[in-house]
Amino acid sequence: MSARSIVLVLLLIVSGSQQVHAQFIHPKIKSKETTIRTIVVLPAKVNVVRDSMKGPEGMVAESDELSMRVEKMVAEVLSQQKHVTTVPTTAAAASADGDAQQKYNVADFQSKFDELLPKIMKKRSDVKKGRFSMGDEVLNLNLEKGTDAVVFIRGQGKKLTSGKTAMRWLVGGVVPAFLQLQIGIVDARNGEVLLYTDPHFTGDPTTAVDRLRKALQNGFKKLP
Amino acid sequence: MFPRKLTFLIVAALSFCIVFTPLAPVALAQKKKAPVEATPPPLKEDFKFGDVDLEVLEQADLLDVRLERDGLVLADESANAYVRRIGRSLIPQGLELERVSWRFRILRDPQPNAFALPNGSIYVTTGLMTLIDNESQLAAIIAHELTHVMRRHTYVHNRSNRKKFMTMNVMAAVGAYAPGGIVGAVIMVVTTVAPFIMIATIYGYSRDLEREADLKGIDMMISAEYPPEEMVNVMKLLDKDFEGENIRLFYNDHPSLDERIKYLSGYLGARADKVTPQMELHRERTAYFQNVEPVMRHDLQLAINAGRARSALYLAQRLVDFHADSENLFWLAESYRTLGPRAPQLTEKELTNSAKKDAAKKSLKRTAEEEERELLATPAGKDNWQRHQQMAEDLYRRALNAENPAPVVHRGLGMLYEKLERRTDAAAEYEKYLELSPSATDRARIQRRIETLKEKLK
Repeated sequence: MSARSIVLVLLLIVSGSQQVHAQFIHPKIKSKETTIRTIVVLPAKVNVVRDSMKGPEGMVAESDELSMRVEKMVAEVLSQQKHVTTVPTTAAAASADGDAQQKYNVADFQSKFDELLPKIMKKRSDVKKGRFSMGDEVLNLNLEKGTDAVVFIRGQGKKLTSGKTAMRWLVGGVVPAFLQLQIGIVDARNGEVLLYTDPHFTGDPTTAVDRLRKALQNGFKKLP
Repeated sequence: MFPRKLTFLIVAALSFCIVFTPLAPVALAQKKKAPVEATPPPLKEDFKFGDVDLEVLEQADLLDVRLERDGLVLADESANAYVRRIGRSLIPQGLELERVSWRFRILRDPQPNAFALPNGSIYVTTGLMTLIDNESQLAAIIAHELTHVMRRHTYVHNRSNRKKFMTMNVMAAVGAYAPGGIVGAVIMVVTTVAPFIMIATIYGYSRDLEREADLKGIDMMISAEYPPEEMVNVMKLLDKDFEGENIRLFYNDHPSLDERIKYLSGYLGARADKVTPQMELHRERTAYFQNVEPVMRHDLQLAINAGRARSALYLAQRLVDFHADSENLFWLAESYRTLGPRAPQLTEKELTNSAKKDAAKKSLKRTAEEEERELLATPAGKDNWQRHQQMAEDLYRRALNAENPAPVVHRGLGMLYEKLERRTDAAAEYEKYLELSPSATDRARIQRRIETLKEKLK
């Protein structure tokens, strides 16, 4: 086997494997002062693009489908692994029915998370110091009594066309298909960021269901 | 080492790409020299839809659904109808465009912006509607966006980008297999530099389309009998940078505002036959504010939520100058309260490009609360804080004394007193708010605050 083939095989193994990613947990969770038993998962915002030889192409429908899949799978993984129950939020239900004010409340709170997220990502380890909070506006979501936490999901992914995949192997320098998630769990009573995890995997984000599950399982491993 | 013949072929192919594709700097320079007056017809009648365009169209339709579903579209029927009326008045009568269905909507975003989707959806943000002065300026923005749709700019831009990306990828492939020696080094340099030229041409192309939309927009305004000079005035308004966030980048898809004002003024000089009298504009401004007052209030809430306190202060002051009722006074008070220890305006030094870049980096490193704490540790911050809290209290009081006082004023006062650690007063104001607004959507939040305050008072 030539050196080039060995490198190729190693690359294949690395790109195909799932990776465990960092999880940062608030001291209140570690000390069990706060426990997460009941959650509300807010609509996930996961965007994927198709990378072709002619540039990136939007995949709005696939992104929406993937967002729903991730949302469901987060609830599933937390339920199976950590016995956490997911409840629908009255605000989320209202947003489906078209109640404008509740819909705005959810949208505004999602925007607030989007503003905080870059700061969290800049120094993720500070979640362990309890540095990040979204404030008591979380109560504007009017969640069911007994809800412990609210889950925010963001993600970006890329799918390669066959032309781009061929170019990747022939030329190199092309980032492989991937999905990168950012998940924040926020205290439903005071808005403190209780957990931040960023699971990711390489592979087609629209079809790699098992890899997604595995990445999420690894992503919540440290949550008590 | 590559055989001599192959090397020759690669170099020849590269030379062909550079000379005959639009990425050649010569082509770029020629584009820039295009005369301002030579504007194309309002429609791109020769446009034929291809598969690639239909894909873009499908994405646009889905994006419309997503914006609506995610609560980003303002559900204010009368405000949307107002924007729709202006939009419709600008579209040439009897115009039917293939695969275009005109929709005019307001987006809940405090940043001044507007955009058009190729399916005919035009979005104007609440931030833009609050910033501008009159209906003619809104018409100028919409006319610009309508041109993007009528001239099929999204499709044209997408097709052009696809060609350029393809060339870029081919170049990368050529670069990867470059031979050694001088020829190899030349190929490596060309393939490394080419993507940068490519990006410049992509954005350059977009700048040309923006220029076309500006100029055609003026023609549309004249046809719909809107004073065209308002296109220039709206550009000047967009140049305002309250938050120090307009960072000039090397690549930018819009021409600089100075450049836009210059070529628009030049174009207008030849065409405008009158300048609208001040009195007429003032009347128009009053009518505009009356129409969009609820949108402006909604935007103030969004601006405050997004930490854009300086913008909120400027916009709320304008609203109070127009109509000093209880609710508008409340928004001005809220702006002062949230401004806290920050200065109401950025200094000239803070508005330089390098200072803005530094501030952007810094804002990534600290939360709003941390920024406030840092500022409060300085004498200027302390001074600002005291002054702004006092201003806020006075304005809340004025709002309570105005006709039909808004219940939210009590909530604002409660928050102010809580910050000032006047806990009894804060709890009383919160209770008053809940008594007057029993079905408030933030009831749970305020109730929790009352409980916490009472616990602390024990």
